[in-house]
Amino acid sequence: MSLKVLTVDDSKTIRMIVKKAFRTYDCTLSEGENGVEGLALAAKERPDLIILDITMPVMTGVEMLAKMKTEPALKDIPVIMLTAEAGKENVMKIVQMGVKDYVVKPFKPEQLIERVSKLFTLQEKPEEAPKEDEARKYFNLNGDVPVLTIPSKVLRPTIVETETALKAKVGEMKSAGMKKMILDLSKVSETNVSLIKLIIAAMDLCQGGGIQVRTVATPGLEKELKEFQETSSVAIFPNQEAAMAAFA
Amino acid sequence: MSLAQLDLKASIRTAVLEVFDTMLSMELTDLEDSRDITENGNRIVGTVSLAGDVLGNVNLHVGEAFARCLTAGMLGMALEEVDSEEEIHDVIGELSNMIGGNLKSKLCDAGLPCDLSIPSITSGRDFHIESKGWALNERLVFGHAEHVAMIQAFIKPGV
Repeated sequence: MSLKVLTVDDSKTIRMIVKKAFRTYDCTLSEGENGVEGLALAAKERPDLIILDITMPVMTGVEMLAKMKTEPALKDIPVIMLTAEAGKENVMKIVQMGVKDYVVKPFKPEQLIERVSKLFTLQEKPEEAPKEDEARKYFNLNGDVPVLTIPSKVLRPTIVETETALKAKVGEMKSAGMKKMILDLSKVSETNVSLIKLIIAAMDLCQGGGIQVRTVATPGLEKELKEFQETSSVAIFPNQEAAMAAFA
Repeated sequence: MSLAQLDLKASIRTAVLEVFDTMLSMELTDLEDSRDITENGNRIVGTVSLAGDVLGNVNLHVGEAFARCLTAGMLGMALEEVDSEEEIHDVIGELSNMIGGNLKSKLCDAGLPCDLSIPSITSGRDFHIESKGWALNERLVFGHAEHVAMIQAFIKPGV
């Protein structure tokens, strides 16, 4: 069963770092911005573990912890304090209040995981198969050749989603003995590092699957791609017809 | 220990280097000069305050371009994905909180108990943070690639 973790910190940055630390583990994360929200979420969600900041507006972590200890339903939930304040007196105070452990900021995500691993056996998250709709939304067919169409603006989530879809498609194509694919960049309106990473990842995945790729882009994008070392040697075709004709 | 015995400069320098290295895997170099940190844009300052047996302020100043770079690093994003001022301010606030928290711990361990405020942010092009009337006043400048960060720390005995 998934480990339920509640992270309470007024900094969105820290909450994101905590969430990322648990990303590869079978955990369900919920988050609160202060002690009041943390208490409400703890009562509602009954988490297996709380990761708690100290200095927060509205209600501090120490105040939240003190209130938890008076609530029979919450008092036994293990708490790891995540704090920028590592003074001996401060540490003694929170240890005496019954926290299981503490992590001092600055911290690396792996340090947090190491502390949590002393309390729980963290299970690796099973690799999720892409949902069929998600995997197919970037693909259509030109004749019998799959076309991977990249959206107008490529951001980090697009890379993850597209790569997942592409891995599934490459697997399907290998099984079906299909050897050609078109990478259509004609809708792309902005060249950025994420786009370049995506193009390289697509080329690598297809090459690994023995699939020939022909790339379609507008003249403007072609010019920009030539300026990046990683994509400077990619042959560009002005449209899908020209790309289809170029397959050997 | 009294405030006079505190090596504020060394304490702040160690804290800054540790925070940037741990959270951002970023090695900073000491800069002796006082280069313009605005990088032709806004300056963003994260501030935390100390109150108790010691009163103080710790200010982390960075130019907007460096702030975006730090935000991308902390949140694991590409630079061009940083498009929220709220995220930038939160990251600069959190970095100043970690630096201030480190100083607070040292002061408390030295028998000078104090509390740390939550961080606040100031941003703009043309402003000056007054530093008169403090017992100790340090200003350190660090570099990373073409970017510059400045830390100011002011402390004095509490009343």
